Amino acid sequence: MKITVESKSGRRAFYCGAKETILNAGLRQGVNLPYECATGSCGTCRARVISGDVEVRWKDAPGGKKLKPEKGDVLMCQTRARSDCVLRVPSEISTRDENRPALRRGVIRNIRKLTSDVVHFDLHLSDPMDFEAGQFVVLETDELSGGRAYSMVNFDRAAARIAFVLKRKPSGGFSDWLFTRENVDLPVEVFGPLGRCIFRPEEGKNIVCIAGGSGIAGMMSILEHATRADHFSKYKGAVFFGVRTLADAFYLEALSGYVAASRGNLEVTIALSDETATTPAHPDHPSLKLASGMVHEVAARAIEDRYCNMIAYVAGPPIMVDGAIRALIVGGVPTLDIRYDKFS
Amino acid sequence: MAWKRICGADEVAENTVKKFDVDGIPILLVNYGEGYRAIPPICPHMEEPLEESGVIVRCVLTCTKHLWAWDLKTLEMKGETEKPLKTYKVKQEDGSVLANIEEELIYEFEDAEEEDDDFFK
Repeated sequence: MKITVESKSGRRAFYCGAKETILNAGLRQGVNLPYECATGSCGTCRARVISGDVEVRWKDAPGGKKLKPEKGDVLMCQTRARSDCVLRVPSEISTRDENRPALRRGVIRNIRKLTSDVVHFDLHLSDPMDFEAGQFVVLETDELSGGRAYSMVNFDRAAARIAFVLKRKPSGGFSDWLFTRENVDLPVEVFGPLGRCIFRPEEGKNIVCIAGGSGIAGMMSILEHATRADHFSKYKGAVFFGVRTLADAFYLEALSGYVAASRGNLEVTIALSDETATTPAHPDHPSLKLASGMVHEVAARAIEDRYCNMIAYVAGPPIMVDGAIRALIVGGVPTLDIRYDKFS
Repeated sequence: MAWKRICGADEVAENTVKKFDVDGIPILLVNYGEGYRAIPPICPHMEEPLEESGVIVRCVLTCTKHLWAWDLKTLEMKGETEKPLKTYKVKQEDGSVLANIEEELIYEFEDAEEEDDDFFK
């Protein structure tokens, strides 16, 4: 099917297969349609269908609450084409040639528990994938409908293995599915890489990472890339990792390793929201600082006078991300230097 | 012309916003220190309630949801912002802030003036 998108930047046309969403079809062909979560939560990929037949797979997607279905409004991440279509998108659309996302197959292996409700898992890909530190992919299985977005924890060029962290949620379909599997190869479809919350050392800036819970995933990838690129020999880094209690923190050895490699230029603070920190540093990992309070408040206090030549990365639950962004703006960080990844 | 009183000039603190109902029309009054702006209470991007998501720093209003921002003195769009703010004219008189409200300002999916502005090349 041919999809034509009218936007503020003019018309763009691309091919869409029967099984893929209009969003994925455009992105994999280098048409930068607007999106954030790619999984129905945020509403950023809304468009108006002017002509043609479409099929919406998740009609109650939370990101679609403000749409006007009677006018043909859809979320492109939830919409498949059933004929040639013309859509309107109320924003600018650029194009790109490099690092386009693509659909791959993979198998999940090496599921291991990090805390009582957090697991790490690896995904072995059918074709290697290049991605930027801080990006994510959308995973789907035949057994569960809809995609789930996960940020890569590792960083590699032409990666054949990508790693993730996942928090078990009370009614989280995918996490329940994963938690109850035996440790055998679990086949999944992988679409990516996606997301603009990315780190590139050549931007030449200090970095601040504010993460809540499994939001630390993308920050680990950023720290890995920054460490390998020797970024902390020239620039400062500050990481604030929010968890409820000390027992909920994970990746502490890896974080300690990055601090040690930074020769004093990287600080990592674990912020405890539901527990008072009784020591200034982690009892078992003395290079990691401890603080009490919500992570965005801890971060705001700690970096109050240091908002200079800095890119801020924020990832976590929406309330935490909004609080962190507010603190950064009040602190004078330009909006173009704030990159965030919100999940729900 | 329909100048209507929104509130007293001391009711909205500097660098804050407050939502008012003016004869059934929702108005967000923004006090940016050097003046006031009266605007619809939602972000033109994704209809986020600016009462909660709006932050004012150095005369710039930023919606924390997706970082669209506007200079409140000039109404210039900042960063990656793609739509202008719609505003009601405001004035201060006898300790009150008034807005000139003809009809409710609403953000459309595509605003007519944008299409007139050679929207689709």
